[in-house]
Amino acid sequence: MLIQQLVNGLTLGAIYSLIALGYTLVYGILTMINFAHSEVLMLGSFMALGLAVLLPSAFGTGAMGLVGMFVLAMTGAGLINVIIERLAYRPLRHISRLAPLISAIGVSIILQNGVFIWVSTQSLRFPEPVAITQVEVLGATISSLQLVILVSALLLMALLHFFVEHTKLGKAMRACSDDIQTAGLMGINADYIIALTFFVGGALGGAAGVLYGMNYGSIKYNLGFLPGAKAFTAAVLGGIGNIRGAVLGGFILGFLEVLASGYIPNGAQWRDVIAFTVLMIVLLVRPSGLLGEKIAEKV
Amino acid sequence: MTKFLNNKWTPWVLLALALGFPFVAGALEAQYLVRVGGVIGLFMLLGLGLNFTLGYAGLFDLGFIAFYAVGAYTTAIAMRSGIPAPVALVLSVLVCLLVRGLLGLTILRLRGDYLAVVTMGFGEIARLTINNLDALTNGPKGIQVAPWRPLNFLVADPNAQYYLMIVAAVAVGALASRRIEDSRVGRAWVAIREDEIAARLSGIPVRQYKLLAFTLSAAFAGVAGGLFALWEQFVTPESFIFWESILVVSIVVLGGMGSIAGVLVGALVLVGFPPIMQWKLSAEWINYRYLFFGLILVLVTLFRPQGILPSSRREAELTS
Amino acid sequence: MTFRRALVLAAVVLAAACGPKEKTVRIAVAVPLTGDMGTEGQGLRRAVELAVEEANAAKRFPYKLEAAPYDDRADPKEAVNVANLVVSDPRVVAVVGHYNSGCATPAAKVYARAPIAMVSPAATNPEVTAQQNSKDWMGPRMVFRVVPTDDVQGSYAATFALKKLGKKRMTILHDKSPYGQGLAEEFKKAFLAGGGKIVSEDGVSVGDKDFKALLTKIRNDPAKPEGVYFGGLYTEAGLLLKQMRELGMKPPFDFISGDGSMTFGLFDVAGDSADGAYLSIVGVPADELPSAKKFVEAYKARFPNDERKPFDHFGYEAANIIMAAIERAGGPDREKVIAELKKTKHEGVLGTTVFDDKGDTTSKIVTMTRAASKKRAFDSVR
Repeated sequence: MLIQQLVNGLTLGAIYSLIALGYTLVYGILTMINFAHSEVLMLGSFMALGLAVLLPSAFGTGAMGLVGMFVLAMTGAGLINVIIERLAYRPLRHISRLAPLISAIGVSIILQNGVFIWVSTQSLRFPEPVAITQVEVLGATISSLQLVILVSALLLMALLHFFVEHTKLGKAMRACSDDIQTAGLMGINADYIIALTFFVGGALGGAAGVLYGMNYGSIKYNLGFLPGAKAFTAAVLGGIGNIRGAVLGGFILGFLEVLASGYIPNGAQWRDVIAFTVLMIVLLVRPSGLLGEKIAEKV
Repeated sequence: MTKFLNNKWTPWVLLALALGFPFVAGALEAQYLVRVGGVIGLFMLLGLGLNFTLGYAGLFDLGFIAFYAVGAYTTAIAMRSGIPAPVALVLSVLVCLLVRGLLGLTILRLRGDYLAVVTMGFGEIARLTINNLDALTNGPKGIQVAPWRPLNFLVADPNAQYYLMIVAAVAVGALASRRIEDSRVGRAWVAIREDEIAARLSGIPVRQYKLLAFTLSAAFAGVAGGLFALWEQFVTPESFIFWESILVVSIVVLGGMGSIAGVLVGALVLVGFPPIMQWKLSAEWINYRYLFFGLILVLVTLFRPQGILPSSRREAELTS
Repeated sequence: MTFRRALVLAAVVLAAACGPKEKTVRIAVAVPLTGDMGTEGQGLRRAVELAVEEANAAKRFPYKLEAAPYDDRADPKEAVNVANLVVSDPRVVAVVGHYNSGCATPAAKVYARAPIAMVSPAATNPEVTAQQNSKDWMGPRMVFRVVPTDDVQGSYAATFALKKLGKKRMTILHDKSPYGQGLAEEFKKAFLAGGGKIVSEDGVSVGDKDFKALLTKIRNDPAKPEGVYFGGLYTEAGLLLKQMRELGMKPPFDFISGDGSMTFGLFDVAGDSADGAYLSIVGVPADELPSAKKFVEAYKARFPNDERKPFDHFGYEAANIIMAAIERAGGPDREKVIAELKKTKHEGVLGTTVFDDKGDTTSKIVTMTRAASKKRAFDSVR
């Protein structure tokens, strides 16, 4: 049972981590909670579904379908995130720290209701690009789906790590994250780097949307909100703005939820209470999250 | 416009108009607006409350609705045990202050968005606990509250009665906010918000003042929650979801942080807009209600990023 | 200046969105049209619109009848707003709504003051109708409910599990909503009374997606449950089924649930994992009742892109019962309609509906069905 629960926690944690990365990248550079990220995730899964529905022969199933869905959802979600930044956040960037949050809430409401009105008011079946088979490992049942989710999530995280640590653009992103004004003085085009960050964050959200759709088999206009709020919590738990922290926080939250509903009697209905209580305790001991740096700021 | 706003008689004229409204609503065929006005008033109270935490002390709170819930459930449970309504309302305020104070003692060392997430967590913990503690709160089935109509001598319509009580509470709350704002305490909050270290060095007990602002907020939520429970005669966990916390934050930020008039206008716009659309939109457009709401949120923020009626003090801080 | 221009623009958009008002008689449909419950509310809206359109086409009334939609967003305060708006509109003669018990309970108090009849198609909390008999009730008795309360289905499912499926040990899950928890509690009561044993009981939240940890716990439970009874709606039921199959929990480990899960949406969420799930339904399945079959076909013809939601036939029935009462009352008079509703004896898609002195339907017929994903159908089990 323990191994089975570990596998359950890993899959859940991988999805949370991917979403949390989107929050943390944007936060790192603008110290802003991108409230609309959950809708970017939702749009990513809808775009992937759209592809499979429009071109079922090529993208309905199989590896081709999987790759196609990822490419489309990631590019699409990334671009949407960039557009949102340009229209709803950039005009407010230097004015107040909370104004972009309110405009983000507005964008989130618009996107969710837009999909509700113009796409579908109900749950839509999400295609299964991989045939689901179960493997018994050490008494645990692992489905091929869980493997695909884990592998693609880890692959994306590795890619992100490489991009941020070993490319010139990644270096510029880190510089902006450290101090956006100084980075500007060093000749980095801050607007461009911010747009790039929103693109990368949105792309990760889009990928998470595809994984989400595959894992749960159906998608709906409001699917983004809950995992979005939880992943944001995970990002804070790890230390908001810190990339490794987001991954760590995502997996910790995944395991916490599994532990609460899997081992505590009557724990399922108290699961979120337990998760949030642990979050509070962690933050009281480490006020900047597990891996975060000390911050001094004002609202 | 500015002349009108700055006139010292303006608030009293507006208050008189607001208090007179239910008596002419019948003739104007606008009884619906009495109900809507009451709900707007409840959120004005919540906004004025959160304004202490967010506007005056600059502490970001994403779980404020938890105290609205605590206020509503305290009144409902007290009424169930046979305690008279006025006492129940006082109890609501006291319980809210106590819980908020204890929460503040534990979490106020957190800063910025870490505080936001912990308060959001507390909001969810409160809601889920209410939903799960069936023995005390009757869980998802909710609690019935006995009717209380103290203004029967004045007007028969219960909506009008609660509207009048809520408007009165808003007036008292706004006046109290203004007095505190201009007091020693209010000036200390400004100092802390502008530069916490400088404030500390000037001998302001920063921690205590922050805790005071944080705790005072809950009194408003307690009154609002209690009145809500008495008015609806029913409480259920479904009323206290995370979205409501976001709404209150939006009211304060969109209206103008730290500005009493701003908060009142923010509540008027954000809480008034959906029910007015409910009234005016035709059947084909009714599904677009919240799409329009989102548009309003974005547009107003883009055109008035400091808030609709920003506080002059706050504006000076931000531009300096 | 730009700010003012934006406001003018917004006003123009809104003005365009406000339609003209005709003189007609209205039946209000007060349900969540947006928000998380929007899916279910839109289904109810369609069902009532269908009933009203049919009546207009058949020229049942000398005036035009209209289904007027109101959006309560599953938020109790908005529901009370809606109730106040509805009672202030003299064209509205009765209300089909609300969807949630949390909305129906406080809204009913407003309707009572008017008074105007409210017929709920989905709110199952006993309190929705029971409050009318409390000493605090201000107004006449005007709340009716076509959907049966939970005890009927819960106890039927328990007997079915004991007698037909030979289960002795069951585990219970519910979604912590008044509907789901109510169903589960009634199942538990009847299952224990029949000599069965409840191995474990857990609550989840509406909107939860991942139940694998919980299901793993159930699978590895040393007390060896033989099946699970779930009180809740099809989204969570579908995810539970899908994840159960992924964890290798297949029949004879059975999944039993109520009518909130018996909808085609279940197949969209669970796919072929839904196969073999037992779902009870109040009344007789649509295919076996001619009037219900007509409704199913009419719905499909009128809304080819939308599938029926679990409570749609209740909404359709509520509207038809109201229209019959208007007919008997001889005109759209609110109080006469209430009086006629009390005398209802309606033959429709749910069989015969008669209201008891609380306003609840007396229909106690429950049928058990089994999901078959290939046919997208629910076959009744005898």
